[in-house]
Amino acid sequence: MLYYLTKRLGLSAVVVCLVVLVLFSLLHLIPGDPATIALGPRATPEAIARYAEKMHLDEPVWRQFMIYVANAATGDLGLDVFSDRPVTAIIMERIGFTLALVGTGMGWAMLLGIPLGCLAAVKPNSWLDRITGVFSVGTIAVPSFLVSIWALLIFAVHLRWLPAIGAGEPGDLGDQVSHLILPAFAIGLSWVGYLARMVRASMLEVMGENYIRSARAFGLRPRRVIFGYALRVAILPTITLIGMGFGGMISSTVFAEIIFARPGIGKLIFDAVTARNFPIVQGAVLVATGLYILVVLISDILIAWFDPRVRESL
Amino acid sequence: MKQTGLSRRGFLGTTAALGALGLTPGWTTAAFAQTGGTLRLRIDGDNDVLDPGFMTGGTEIEAQKQCLPFLAQYARDGETFTWEPSYFVTKLEQRDATHIDFELAEGLVWSNGYGPVLASDVKFSYERMKDSDWSGYFEALDHVEVTGDRTGTIVLGKPFAPFIMITLCHGPGAVLSEKAMADVGDRFTTQFPAVCGPYTYEATPGQRAVFTANPEWTGPKPAFDRVECNVITEVKAAELAFEAGELDCTEVGADTLARYTKNMPDGTAIAVAGELQYMWMGMNTEHPKLQDIRVRKAIQHAVDVDTILQGAYSGTTAKSHGIICPGLTGQRDSAGYGYDPAKARDLLAEAGVSGLQLTLRTLNNQERMLAAQIIQANLMQVGITVKVLPLDSGPFWEMGQESKGDTWQDLELWLMRFGTTPDPYEATQWFTSDQVGVWNWERWTDEEYDRLYEEGINETDPQKRHDIYVRMQEIMENTGAYVWINHEPEAFVHSTEIGVNAAPSGELNYRRFTKA
Repeated sequence: MLYYLTKRLGLSAVVVCLVVLVLFSLLHLIPGDPATIALGPRATPEAIARYAEKMHLDEPVWRQFMIYVANAATGDLGLDVFSDRPVTAIIMERIGFTLALVGTGMGWAMLLGIPLGCLAAVKPNSWLDRITGVFSVGTIAVPSFLVSIWALLIFAVHLRWLPAIGAGEPGDLGDQVSHLILPAFAIGLSWVGYLARMVRASMLEVMGENYIRSARAFGLRPRRVIFGYALRVAILPTITLIGMGFGGMISSTVFAEIIFARPGIGKLIFDAVTARNFPIVQGAVLVATGLYILVVLISDILIAWFDPRVRESL
Repeated sequence: MKQTGLSRRGFLGTTAALGALGLTPGWTTAAFAQTGGTLRLRIDGDNDVLDPGFMTGGTEIEAQKQCLPFLAQYARDGETFTWEPSYFVTKLEQRDATHIDFELAEGLVWSNGYGPVLASDVKFSYERMKDSDWSGYFEALDHVEVTGDRTGTIVLGKPFAPFIMITLCHGPGAVLSEKAMADVGDRFTTQFPAVCGPYTYEATPGQRAVFTANPEWTGPKPAFDRVECNVITEVKAAELAFEAGELDCTEVGADTLARYTKNMPDGTAIAVAGELQYMWMGMNTEHPKLQDIRVRKAIQHAVDVDTILQGAYSGTTAKSHGIICPGLTGQRDSAGYGYDPAKARDLLAEAGVSGLQLTLRTLNNQERMLAAQIIQANLMQVGITVKVLPLDSGPFWEMGQESKGDTWQDLELWLMRFGTTPDPYEATQWFTSDQVGVWNWERWTDEEYDRLYEEGINETDPQKRHDIYVRMQEIMENTGAYVWINHEPEAFVHSTEIGVNAAPSGELNYRRFTKA
């Protein structure tokens, strides 16, 4: 297990390095002078020169890269172009909002999607299975930004049941939760479909196994067979999917965060790209990538923990 | 692998419980209920640098107007923008072309124990700006003479008629506490070191900026005790938030403005701050295909601007007749040419041009692309084939600048929009001879234009200034290098329960909002 962990961590470090390299290269591949792009067309030559010096843009590219990597390794992701605040601090202010949104979105999707998949698999080709199938494909097909807009129009603009913008009053948990409902619904909806389809497919496969037949033959209650034995095995590929989904959601929250004007990593990246605030873009994408890698790593470890066959193969 | 205290079932159960927490109903508190005395607005981003010397502009100026003293403020004289002394002064007078006398009001006090607002604070603030990112606004300033605790004279190194209007009324004209600035090392970013105004300021990055009543303020009380400015990047999201009742006022885009104008919902009104954007289609007078003035004039006659205003801007923008915007001295009533495809064809025939192919470059946003496509269709009707080339802002803003490469040599046609301050001087400065290859991408020069530019800066008589700027636009138009298109408004939708106050360039002034 230790060897496995070391190998995975080493691989993760290589991926992070590649991401840093790509991000850094992108800055220099964008047409136009980075300083002029960042400060706008009417910036004075003095301001452009000051910016170039501050961001080390007057150094050779390889040296800029080395400086960035060395600083990033110590947690220093540079300074915000405009406010001069540390990028790391800015990201830390926002990341909690994104994690809360992703956690809630994936949480409710799991709560609904996994039972739906089980029910569909227990009674294949029944009306319940067919309805679940149509619902799942439907939710997968509708993009989250569309769900966001419709949810906003229906529940906030028309019915006025839920707030439309922001993350709620700091320190008021109830207010913050109410502000979380619509965006979490929007980003989680398609995952209900994904999870239901995945659990159904896994369950159908597992339900045909000999040990399930044996359990039934011993007269165990159906509920115990399904939830105690079948789901325990069928859930394993779903954990991988959830891990990848959680990581993917971190970047896909950008639509929900923009539409609902919530602070978060996605909106931070969007705003920074719009303002050509490259240190923020680099730092935030790097952190989002790190989170993605971490979540996928955790899901792999969980699978190894739950499944003795995987443990033994390590 | 060792068994730990957390089982698979426990893991799933905890995750499910967290998910359920997010779905629990009944927590939809009165987050969006009206609260007395609170004004809810939108800002399009965080205020990263509140320091007037190093700000990026925009909503930072809105914050400065609530928390810092200004000697002058914008006013309207009928349809024309002008200025008036602010609450912070009992006297602001232009003694002659280079001297402006001021006297600060009594009883103005800085917060955080920094004492009274002094004339020396004005001197410090304005002279400091000469070494700032906004130094262009203070180019004419020589020094500020302090004649008493509250009195002084702003001394200009050369006559500069628009100084009060474009410098003192605008963000760079904010006054700072010299003592407080010394304590913060002469620079600040997200917190004011000391305020003197009706509000204090606090911001939560990424979420909102909140202005609350300043307990040390002795001046006129604003209509609202608290102003919440929510950070909403996208105009469309802000429009939906307004419709959901979560904002009292927000800026709107052209299509929404058209929708509201056509069918105004109950309890809603539109306010237009100003139309200080000027858009035109430019032509490179040095390009071989466009060197013949008859070809350029043919293009002027071939473009149907009215169709652009309807098709791309839903009829919400004012038709342009030059670079001087509505409400400013020097605005023209009409252009010297009109839509006349037959005349365009005649001019092309006279020039012996047929099968002309041109490239029209534009920023790749929705309205510009629509405008470009209409121009493409218009020019096709007179036998000119146009290829539309959409560009990202990086390469777009560099394409006419000689210092940024050779693209300027290939420039043929482009759609351009500049913003300006409420004085005609600024709009005219980009087209002088020394701007060729910088911002004068049309690349023409004219001695009379350059001379009039200097005269306009020095002239204080309104009628003479008007005549100067009208003539300058005639000179521009006569080059054939411009098709005037429109002036986009800074429009706001708001509840009829409030009255909006905004600068001509669109910055809201919360302290001057009113309750109906």
